[in-house]
Amino acid sequence: MLTSGRTWRRYAYLVIGAALVAPYPTLAGFVAPALEGGLGVDAAWAVAVVICCVALPIATGMLAAVRGLQITAAHLLLGADLGDDEPTHGELAWSTRRRSGAWFAAHLVVGAVVGSLTVVMPPAVVSAISAPFVTGDVQLGRLDPTIPGGPGSAWVVPLALLAPFALVYLAAGAGALLARAAPRLLGPSPLEQLAIVRHRADRLAERNRLARELHDSVGHALAIVTVQAGAAGHVLDSDPAFVRQALTDIETSARNGLRDLDHVLGLLRDDAPASARVPTPTLADLQRLVDSTRSAGIDVAAELTGSIDEIPQAVSREAYRIIQESLTNVARHAGAVPVDLRLTVDDQQLELELSNPLRGIRATRAGGGRGLEGMRERVASLRGEVSAGAESGRWRVAVSLPLHPVP
Amino acid sequence: MSLGVLLVDDEPLIRSGLRAVIDSEDDLAVVGEAEDGAAVTPLVRRLRPDVVVMDVRMPVVDGIEATRRLIANVDDPPRILILTTFENDDFVLEALRAGAAGFLLKRARPDELVRAIRLLAAGESLLFPSAIRELVLRSSPVAPPSGLDAAGLTEREAEVLRLVAQGLSNGEIAAQLVVSLETVKTHVARVLAKLDARDRTQAVIRAYESGFIARGW
Repeated sequence: MLTSGRTWRRYAYLVIGAALVAPYPTLAGFVAPALEGGLGVDAAWAVAVVICCVALPIATGMLAAVRGLQITAAHLLLGADLGDDEPTHGELAWSTRRRSGAWFAAHLVVGAVVGSLTVVMPPAVVSAISAPFVTGDVQLGRLDPTIPGGPGSAWVVPLALLAPFALVYLAAGAGALLARAAPRLLGPSPLEQLAIVRHRADRLAERNRLARELHDSVGHALAIVTVQAGAAGHVLDSDPAFVRQALTDIETSARNGLRDLDHVLGLLRDDAPASARVPTPTLADLQRLVDSTRSAGIDVAAELTGSIDEIPQAVSREAYRIIQESLTNVARHAGAVPVDLRLTVDDQQLELELSNPLRGIRATRAGGGRGLEGMRERVASLRGEVSAGAESGRWRVAVSLPLHPVP
Repeated sequence: MSLGVLLVDDEPLIRSGLRAVIDSEDDLAVVGEAEDGAAVTPLVRRLRPDVVVMDVRMPVVDGIEATRRLIANVDDPPRILILTTFENDDFVLEALRAGAAGFLLKRARPDELVRAIRLLAAGESLLFPSAIRELVLRSSPVAPPSGLDAAGLTEREAEVLRLVAQGLSNGEIAAQLVVSLETVKTHVARVLAKLDARDRTQAVIRAYESGFIARGW
């Protein structure tokens, strides 16, 4: 362990934490005297410490930039496994900020302990080793305790020699604990995971689509060109009529292939986000959505009665979007809870019901009012109905969409 | 008498190119064409070709399904040569498992095509042994490698199977093992029977997939 680079990198991470502590007590030292007049000495210091040494560090940790630095540092120095996904952009969710703040506080506290020991220990060790050889009491470095000098204190020497090793092991242990906690505090939230997984799935679908397009268009054209040209060469002398026809066909196929290649390359060059090019998903893509949601920790029990094959595209697209939004809402408001999804299709309408256990007070926030309002409007335009609300401990969204709306 | 070939491909220009090459050979003749796998079984019954040259991907009934139907429904079915645009196409391995005797890339040269048809019709050796090996080993295993112990091959039969996998013909195997051609034929027949394989291709695929022939070779 002493020779492992990882141990020393983790040690460095903790010492950085110790260094980051410094400004906060200093600030408390300025703030407390200013408050003493109104509050009295004890209360002033208590308030100053709570504000400067508790609230402020946590607030610092909540900053997006600090979170970014902590993720990088935890990855490089602690060796924490935080996934290799690109960090999510945009505003951080409050739950994410809270986790980051907790992480920063933990880094500072553990770092302060290990850092202080690192500073205090070397002089204490040196003086302890000298104790058997001197007369009079020996002070342990700058610490208060003393040891009587003389041969009677020989027992201190092995302890003093072991102390630095103990410190390294302590640091390694603390680093390992932090590394284990890192994914929970610095890793993506279920919601972010969902976004990451969805993004990845979209990219994969896009890549597969382009591969299929290349296969079908350019591959097809080149296969014709190869076969026809090979055949023409093979029968050049015996069948000139075939060769003439083959040259025409080769020209046409090659031209078509080039046109298709142009098209596919255009898609690849296009800077528009993948979502703008991938056809809007429908219920046919539901399994992928359920799978990606599952891998983000939300178990979806989906039950389908009837067939989704006959559902008009517009209805199918809207149903998919409702399910997608509802699952995102579940992740946002209730976290990783099991979700029941029931789809019932008959020849008149599609009924969709999604429910999940309520968790905490946030669930009463009506599932993100604006989102639900948008859903209502879109469903109304398809002559359908939405109801959403809490019902015997569960949040329930029910939608019915007519398959053949009468205008 | 020349070997009869049935061409199956949804692209007319592929068929016309293949036909020009095949018909230009004295010992080969295209006896019919189809543009989808669904037509293969009835056409084979009527035309009795020796070899079916068939695209693996077709819009309605693909090469895999057409192979399955042909093997299941026709007594003494013809050898099937699968055509593919791309080497790493899982469909190809699936067609070989279903009973196709070999596969050929559409970018193969005309002389490779006619050689493949002759080789398949003779049934004496494996077509493109290294390509088949690549194809099987690149695919994800269908089952954990369990060896071929259950098949109960004798030591000599196992040796013959290894040489078959390397693409050796019966004659070459006989020369290598210093035994008669008849003996080799008997061994090969026994190996096929014990592995429940239709032909050498299927036996070799089994040998790779079971781990009987190690991935390293």
